[in-house]
Amino acid sequence: MTVNHYDAIVIGGGHNGLVAAAYLARAGKKVVVLERREIVGGAAVTEEIIPGFKFTEFSYVVSLLRPEIIRELELPKHGLKILPLPSTFAPMDNGDYLGLWDDPDLTRRELYRHSPLDAEAYDAYSRAMGRAAKAIKPLISLIPPDPSSLHPRDLMGLLKLGQYAAGLSEKELYMIAKLVTQSAGDMLEEWFETDVLLGTKAASGVVGTLLGPRSAGTAYVLLHHYMGEIDGAFRAWGFAKGGTGGVSGAIANAALALGAEIRVGSSVAQVIVKKGRAAGVALDNGDELQSKVVFSAADPKRTFLQFVDPKYFPDEFIQSIKNFRTLGSSGKLNLALSELPDFTALPGEGPLHRGAISISPSLDYIERAYDEAKYGQFSRRPFIDMIIPSAIDPDMAPPGQHVASCFIQYAPYDLEGGWDDAKKEAFAETVISTLEIYAPNIRRTIVGKQVITPVDIERIAGITGGNIFHGEMLLNQIFFLRPVAGWADFRTPLRGYYLAASGAHPGGGVMGAAGKLSVQEALKDGLL
Amino acid sequence: MKTYDAIIIGAGHNGLVSAAYLAKAGKQVLVLESRAIPGGTLVTEEFDGFMADMVQSGNLCPDIIRNLKLARFGLKPKPVSEIPAFISLLPDSDILVLESDPVKAAESIKRFSPKDAARWPDFLTFMEKATKFLESAYDTLMPRLPKVSLSEGYSLAELALDLRLAGRKNMLNIIRVIPMTAVEFLEEWFESEQLKAAVASVGIHGVTLGVMSAGTTFNLIHNWLNRGGLAHQYLGRAGQVTDALVAAAEAYGAEMRLSAEVTSIKIEDNQAAGVVLKDGEEISAQTVLSSADPKRTFLTLVGPMELSPTFVWHTQSIKMRGSVAKLHLGLKSLPDGMAADTTYTIAPALNYLERAYDAAKYGQISEKPYLEVTTSENVISIHFQYAPYKLKQGAWNDKRDTLEKLAVDTLAVHFPELQSSIVKSKLLTPADLETTYSLTEGDLNHGQIMLDQFMFMRPIPGWSNHKTPIDGLYLCGSGVHAGGGISGASGRNAAKVVSKEI
Repeated sequence: MTVNHYDAIVIGGGHNGLVAAAYLARAGKKVVVLERREIVGGAAVTEEIIPGFKFTEFSYVVSLLRPEIIRELELPKHGLKILPLPSTFAPMDNGDYLGLWDDPDLTRRELYRHSPLDAEAYDAYSRAMGRAAKAIKPLISLIPPDPSSLHPRDLMGLLKLGQYAAGLSEKELYMIAKLVTQSAGDMLEEWFETDVLLGTKAASGVVGTLLGPRSAGTAYVLLHHYMGEIDGAFRAWGFAKGGTGGVSGAIANAALALGAEIRVGSSVAQVIVKKGRAAGVALDNGDELQSKVVFSAADPKRTFLQFVDPKYFPDEFIQSIKNFRTLGSSGKLNLALSELPDFTALPGEGPLHRGAISISPSLDYIERAYDEAKYGQFSRRPFIDMIIPSAIDPDMAPPGQHVASCFIQYAPYDLEGGWDDAKKEAFAETVISTLEIYAPNIRRTIVGKQVITPVDIERIAGITGGNIFHGEMLLNQIFFLRPVAGWADFRTPLRGYYLAASGAHPGGGVMGAAGKLSVQEALKDGLL
Repeated sequence: MKTYDAIIIGAGHNGLVSAAYLAKAGKQVLVLESRAIPGGTLVTEEFDGFMADMVQSGNLCPDIIRNLKLARFGLKPKPVSEIPAFISLLPDSDILVLESDPVKAAESIKRFSPKDAARWPDFLTFMEKATKFLESAYDTLMPRLPKVSLSEGYSLAELALDLRLAGRKNMLNIIRVIPMTAVEFLEEWFESEQLKAAVASVGIHGVTLGVMSAGTTFNLIHNWLNRGGLAHQYLGRAGQVTDALVAAAEAYGAEMRLSAEVTSIKIEDNQAAGVVLKDGEEISAQTVLSSADPKRTFLTLVGPMELSPTFVWHTQSIKMRGSVAKLHLGLKSLPDGMAADTTYTIAPALNYLERAYDAAKYGQISEKPYLEVTTSENVISIHFQYAPYKLKQGAWNDKRDTLEKLAVDTLAVHFPELQSSIVKSKLLTPADLETTYSLTEGDLNHGQIMLDQFMFMRPIPGWSNHKTPIDGLYLCGSGVHAGGGISGASGRNAAKVVSKEI
């Protein structure tokens, strides 16, 4: 018989839940992770949907995973290996392409071909963004203070924030202020003139949001993607050996090695509350587990509206959680391919296949894709970010064959008339016919596919609304406003209950920061 | 030759407010206006026998009216009972009438949603708190960060305190809603499409953003503050407000010269030395205040040679992007069903408004435009959005008939007699707004009201305190913090900064 008494229970075995469990175990606590599915990883999983072809089903690249977490949990020892994703290739409508390679000289020459002005501006731009990302990075590991609170903890936090701001130069401060409030399009147009460069750069500003590149706040999302680093190299993106499931696997191994317990196939029905405190959970199968504290690595809506009786929360809090924007806007098309896609703009097998392939020929292209989504349609000509994991890690597909992971925007959760099989098929067809424009051989190389809409993300990964960030990274949903004003320090109105995932500060992406910071805060409360 | 303590470029409302404040403080001030009449965009002008508030109308800040004693110079605020209604014209001759009296407004809302009617008073209370905060923000000088002097830090702390005094819940809410889209914000409050769209239209008024653009809640609060609610509450005709300002400025000792176009600002060793007029005349002064927009001030009047490349680059990056056209119709009489001194909006649905904006993004005129219509006894003034300054195809002069027809046809759906009652019309395209009223790119606000051009980022980061890289040159127009709309706040704030320095 298993002993069902724990110091801490973590609901959800996504990467944040696993990080939280590892840090709890590291602090000597007896902890169990409860995962609903039969595999851990949440939205960071690799699955063999088609025999022999391993799909990085949802999340597909790594960059934002906090270096201190990699270090402290010794993730490389537990199997984490990140392979660089060296280039971005963006085919254009006129048959040409833009290639951003890992060799700066090559990139510079390539940019010169499109616009000497842009080539000149590119280095300065990269430096400016790097500086901004570096300047804003300390905020990631800061607990956002509530500016309206007079609690000593918040006042100290505000003081720290003030010290942080005072430490920035005027230039950095204003750059951050502008980046936080601008649209990606406006920001980029201050630097560049080439359509395909603008489109490709702006694309990372709209990832995971139901916003267009001309919407304010998208420059921040763009910056968020610049905060990644691999081995200390800023802005570097990589692919984890074995897909993002490899990341989750390494964290899970680390957690197990530190003494955490992981139970898969354990779906939580409710958090048990005793004397106004979270005291354990009840599973769907009727089992009950007791604990001193409970961490939820589920999204805020599930965490507060589903797992806990609303009577334990103030009405306003519930209302704010209901208002939290969690509508997904991204889809995936995972393809099993008999051979590599052959791009008209740069025929044959080449370095482009080992990098990101971005269908983002212009700002207007992405903006128009957004226009359709805001009225409840999927984009007829979507933004596609494709990577070919098997070209980087041959283990991902049978020899000579390939898998492709296509991230797509926009695919709104609230599709007019709702998502059904016919719509999913039409959506896949849209993506394939878009890819066909640039790589005509793609259709005949497809031997299998998996279409993922936000509704599927919700169903499979358990994220309400299917938003990849557990809630859009909007200005009104970041920092001390995430997920709800006044509750950005991972605590919740229910004592002993903590939010430990992307819906909390600092937000989405495979970062692990929320998992780590929530444990750090919980340990201060003296309940454990 | 007479010497002046300060020269003010432009006799728009901000220029006049600055002039009056400085003159009242005993400074020798000269105001130079390029047009033959003062007022800038706050003017009542004649077209073919009809009188219209050509570009904008609005309220000055109450403290300006008080401090400059404008009542003595003929400005008499209307009693609250006379504040007109804000009427949304809906399909099938339906209307939503939002009277300034919350009880009456709720009556009309009830037809669309009893739930919304019940929430209306709370919404007004929240908007009042939010506008109060914005008002104090506009009353606070935005210092250069992070090197804030003690007194500047004190006023910032005061601003934070004002925000905190709105109550903890409201404070967080105000911070939270400012970057939101008008749609998200209003969906948290209401369920009726008609009500949401009518209110959201004020959030896009005057800016090239859509109701689904982040930051349109900020513009909603900004316009709500400047109008004194949903409907335009006029102190009087635009020209009467200007007349009172001119009379006050002159009474305090300011001089004004009309038809005196400044073509450049004289600079000696990075110090303002005076201005040069179109006819070559030079007027010297160690202090120059420009109420022209920042692009015009720095790129034309000062010239890029006097400024650092980075500063020039930032100035070039200021987003102006006007997309408003104004159409004035002189009528035999108002068409049946239309009331005088009223604000009508054509904003039947949120998607309608967003689609109107979609066109502007790609340089096209909205086929189904958002209109805001203000009326007098025999003139209808139509604010037309979106008419983007930068057209993808063609020139504005070839689009005059198209635009006029679109505006009239859109309104005539609700007032079938409109066509036959039109006697004369006067159209101002964004290009006209630029040439006649010196609004770069036809932007009524001297720079878009958006989050990255707000507070200490207006007009550009580091220069929100009215100072400029040129010693003795100050900005006092709408393009700097507190600006946008007819409040006079930036003119007032600039005068405060300048009077401390000279």
